[in-house]
Amino acid sequence: MSEVLLDTRGLGKSYPRSHRSSDRLRALARLLLKRADADAHRVLHDISLEVRRGESVGIIGENGAGKSTLLKLVTGVLTPTTGSVAVRGEIGALLELGAGFNPEYTGRDNVAMAAALRGISGKALAERLPAIIEFADIGDYIDEPVKHYSSGMVVRLGFAVIASLRPDLLITDEVLAVGDESFQRKCVRWMEDYLEGGGTLLLVSHSMYHIQKLCRRALWLRDGTVAAFGDVFEVTQAYLAWHEARSAPRESAATRAGLEFSVGPLALNGADGEAAPLLDIGSPLHVRAEVDSRDGRLPVLMVGIVRADGTPVYGVSTEMDRLEVAADADGRLHADIGFDALPLLPGSYSVRVHVLDPEGVRLFDTRERDFVVRGESREFGLVRLSHRWRGVRERSS
Amino acid sequence: MNLARLAQHFIARELRERYRGSFTGFGWALLQPLLQLAIYAFVFVHVFKARVPGADAPGYVPFLVVAMWPWVAFSDALVRATLAIQDNAPLIGKVALPRELLVLAPCAASFILHIGGFVAIVLVLAVAGTPIHLLHLPLALLLYLPLFVLAFGLALGLAALQVFVRDLVQILGQLLMLFMFAAPVFYARENLPERWQGWLDANPFTFYAEAFRALLLGYGDIGLRALAIACLVAVLAFFAGRALFRRLDPHFEDFL
Repeated sequence: MSEVLLDTRGLGKSYPRSHRSSDRLRALARLLLKRADADAHRVLHDISLEVRRGESVGIIGENGAGKSTLLKLVTGVLTPTTGSVAVRGEIGALLELGAGFNPEYTGRDNVAMAAALRGISGKALAERLPAIIEFADIGDYIDEPVKHYSSGMVVRLGFAVIASLRPDLLITDEVLAVGDESFQRKCVRWMEDYLEGGGTLLLVSHSMYHIQKLCRRALWLRDGTVAAFGDVFEVTQAYLAWHEARSAPRESAATRAGLEFSVGPLALNGADGEAAPLLDIGSPLHVRAEVDSRDGRLPVLMVGIVRADGTPVYGVSTEMDRLEVAADADGRLHADIGFDALPLLPGSYSVRVHVLDPEGVRLFDTRERDFVVRGESREFGLVRLSHRWRGVRERSS
Repeated sequence: MNLARLAQHFIARELRERYRGSFTGFGWALLQPLLQLAIYAFVFVHVFKARVPGADAPGYVPFLVVAMWPWVAFSDALVRATLAIQDNAPLIGKVALPRELLVLAPCAASFILHIGGFVAIVLVLAVAGTPIHLLHLPLALLLYLPLFVLAFGLALGLAALQVFVRDLVQILGQLLMLFMFAAPVFYARENLPERWQGWLDANPFTFYAEAFRALLLGYGDIGLRALAIACLVAVLAFFAGRALFRRLDPHFEDFL
């Protein structure tokens, strides 16, 4: 095992509440007297994390989950309220916008300052400066005050400085979100190269694409605590599933009593209950439910699959397929449909069964049940479309 | 991290930036106290007909110059350094660094600029025929050392408090005005009624005003005891200011 570069134990951070100036005075008095703050806002709680040399860890979570606070604690900008942080080696950090640039000074001055803070000045800086300016690629703006920069330019310059320093541990917070396409590509390429060279990365991003591309492990922060920590695919999928489920509109359960047509609980692949079954990509899905018709007329059945956030994936009805439900030996009706090889990409989905009147016009009842498709995939979208590349060959490496 | 080199970098940047964008550049460092001096000289010499008491007293202008220049360095350093932490909030929120340096830079820059101005104007006065002990100039410059330590110590404490009490810098402006008039800068100790004269020693700047005059103009003399006390006060101020700064340092980010 390689050496531990970062080790946090029971790390926590609380911010004091300071809305009015009297709060500030009270806080000052408390700090001078070394009293504990009773009225603090806890943003991070009990984070224990170990990162070894050569590892790449993505940090994900909603806004306000504590991601930036965690990075600030790791870089030493913030002092932890509880717990400890131990860091070995040199840290290069790009926190939120800008690497601590002073808006009044020119880009060149700020680069010199950033380099000086990391122990590089004079001749060594003069040697690196052209490379930094070239990487940032902001043209004559380098001699303008940073306050005239666009946010993209600030990040370009900040990243260029960090890139030239090649720290032992690279910490970046939403850097890729700000730059344009070409700069993003440049950054990602640089980071891949850095990781291949044995670099260690702590990356905060809302882009699961970047997280999955650059990181092998992921840490999911929720309300200031660790919701999950482990393999990047498992954690990001759990996070996305949670997110999708949260943003999906909640339907109120319709009362089924007295409906002309109704549908019973769904069995997925033979399993009853409420639990969401786990499927692998390309595995079959069988949906079955009892359907009730009060006056014996035959309803039209419709089955649809939606992603957990409500995006429809596929829907089909017996009417579209020119079919009609038929009663079984006991005279009962069933909605029963099988998908031989479901090409859905990993994520959370729901299957819905609707019953409509025989004319296929009025909707009477709906049943829904969740299921999860799991697996490792970097493909985009909802489904895997069958495809064939031409003019290609196996990668040599 | 090489602390000395970093400090040098911060001070150099502070110097460069202080006069960037101003029309006169570094000249302003000299021009501003000169203008101030011209105003005071006019008001005190020609309006109030101020005279320095004593038989072999120097002219009022050199009398004012050698005490006021160090005062300007001292008060300028304090006012600027008090804002140092607050003004560098973007840096403090993003980069871990020894934050004392942020206070040191404006403090040192003020002293460097005003010591330069001081030397220049003393030379000007000497050339103009004022009886000034130029040989004592290096000794006089040494006096700036405890004055700087005093200013830096106070500045550390003030800069830390400014983060929590934002109107501190306004109050400081008024306080400095008070302290200037409560020190023998515009007048000599002998100008005061006898029962007030002793109180002057409570003002830490009194020693410096009188010591500069004693060295350069031969007006009054420096007591060794007073010198020792001044040095002690400076060192105490430094350690007290640093202790306060270090106590509050971990919490700056929370309140900026």
